[in-house]
Amino acid sequence: MGLAGRAILAAALSMPILETARAETVPESAVISYKYLDYQESQLGEDRIGVKARAWSVLLPFAGDWSVQATYTKDAVSGASPRFWSKAAASMRDNREAKDISVTRYFSHDTLTIGASLSDENDYRSEGFSFAGTHSTEDKNTTFNYGFAVTNDDISSNGLQENKRKVDWALGITQILTSKDIVQLTVTDVQGKGYFTDPYKLFDLRPDSRHQNTAQVRWNHFIEGSDATLRLSYRYYTDSWSIKAHTLGVEYVQPLPGGWVLTPSLRVHDQSAAEFYVNPADFPWTATYSSLDQRLSAFGARTYGFKVSKTFDANWTVDVKYEKYLQRSGWRLFGQGSPDIDPFDAKMFQLGVSYRF
Amino acid sequence: MFNKSKLAFSSGITVLLLAAAASLPVQALEVGDQVPELELPGNGQTVKLPKQPGKVIYLDFWASWCGPCRQSFPWMNAMQDKYKKQDFEVIGVNLDGQAADAEKFLAKVPAKFTIAYDAKGNSARQYGVKGMPTSLLIGKDGKVIYMHMGFNNEGREKLEQAIQLAVEGRK
Amino acid sequence: MRGRTTKLSLLALAMLSASGCSLVQPVQPWEKGMLSRPEMTFETDRLDAAYTEHVYFSKEAASGGSGAGGGGCGCN
Repeated sequence: MGLAGRAILAAALSMPILETARAETVPESAVISYKYLDYQESQLGEDRIGVKARAWSVLLPFAGDWSVQATYTKDAVSGASPRFWSKAAASMRDNREAKDISVTRYFSHDTLTIGASLSDENDYRSEGFSFAGTHSTEDKNTTFNYGFAVTNDDISSNGLQENKRKVDWALGITQILTSKDIVQLTVTDVQGKGYFTDPYKLFDLRPDSRHQNTAQVRWNHFIEGSDATLRLSYRYYTDSWSIKAHTLGVEYVQPLPGGWVLTPSLRVHDQSAAEFYVNPADFPWTATYSSLDQRLSAFGARTYGFKVSKTFDANWTVDVKYEKYLQRSGWRLFGQGSPDIDPFDAKMFQLGVSYRF
Repeated sequence: MFNKSKLAFSSGITVLLLAAAASLPVQALEVGDQVPELELPGNGQTVKLPKQPGKVIYLDFWASWCGPCRQSFPWMNAMQDKYKKQDFEVIGVNLDGQAADAEKFLAKVPAKFTIAYDAKGNSARQYGVKGMPTSLLIGKDGKVIYMHMGFNNEGREKLEQAIQLAVEGRK
Repeated sequence: MRGRTTKLSLLALAMLSASGCSLVQPVQPWEKGMLSRPEMTFETDRLDAAYTEHVYFSKEAASGGSGAGGGGCGCN
């Protein structure tokens, strides 16, 4: 992946998203959280990229009808990627910082949120602004969610000076079905223009635009007998690079006496390849655009996860999460996987502490 | 293709806004209305409304899982203490589906006022409760003086002022 | 193809919103105790979600789904 590629990966890993749905009422208390991530990938039995990240987040209600949320993430990337298809050779370390802040105003049946984010490293700078809101019906059983965001990325590595801009729209509905069931449907539209090529990969030249759409449905179901909650999600993704993907997520949240909560999880992902993705074995390629990036190939992936959390004194919570991610071209459910791709694995470990005050 | 998406998007938004407007409010109690009769089990006694002889009543609909309810209890205790000699009474109607949840809450957050239990929520339905908590200030004549949804520090002063006026016979 | 997906999704959204309130018996405010549990809402652990979403963003082609992502991801 190369030096900048690793930096880009780090940027990807540490950039906080403003997507996570917000409550429709002012938080009762302030919360401060810290979370540590240890990510390690491997391919063909060799360790590849490793990332150690630290993030802090604070949520503060104020002035009765307002809240502010801020997050700061810092991480260090290390390790090498397979050199064959990459221009850079050496194993290096990169650091990056990301921050975001958002402010929400709460009304009796509405909320409005504005946010800004910034991510910085040697050769990559990304800035974003977002606006989002919710509107609930009189009985608050139906809530409409809407959001808009713009992002500007500046890439300057190895004498390159490039730019990429993105405009996001999101629209959704959250519906309470029963006292134990709530569902949410969200559609998004993203238009990106600019530099999408990975400058550190050989034979990588991508179109200067990308139009993406998703439709996602989520369902939370409470199981009275065991006080457990089943959380299901499905997302369909499609874009102008001809990629189509399906992602299914299942979580089972089981509270236990003593403030313990156990959450096993499973995620299944399937994607087709980008239209300009090429197989190294098919060299030479005649198309205008091409990429050997495994990320744009056709494959299936599974994540097995387990999270344990414990709440002490109703104010402190500690959580630990372990996930194993496996990517295989042979695991596609909706088509053929790309040939000649090596299996890819990653392990993710998270440790977090949270304090409510 | 982008124009088609834009059209679909805008028509989608229009339908959603129309649907939102179409969800009309359910009929509820208004200021000046006579409150419906109430007869609910309490701790050792039956709780009845209207009160004979008349008293100013602060009727609060609460549940153990409601955060603002937790915040409102100390204030309601203070109001009960302050104005009880002036023919004033706080009544908290618990709407938990399981009485055990209410007991757990009361063990942590004690109430110095009368508690009534309505697990089926019939009184809440009759009183047009739209959110948790909902409180009504009821005059000696059994008529609604003030209705309030939710509870936060900013609203307390206004509520206390209304109580003061009511116990002094003014509205 | 993409335009069609968007249109179908919006139609589904519109239908859901128009019928959602009348299809089922509306849930009353005092019946929302179970729904108030954090795990029953759609607000996940913010930092956990940020970490995992970005691992998938950098290792897979698909992204997004829950809202309008502010803040750039330098993923080329």
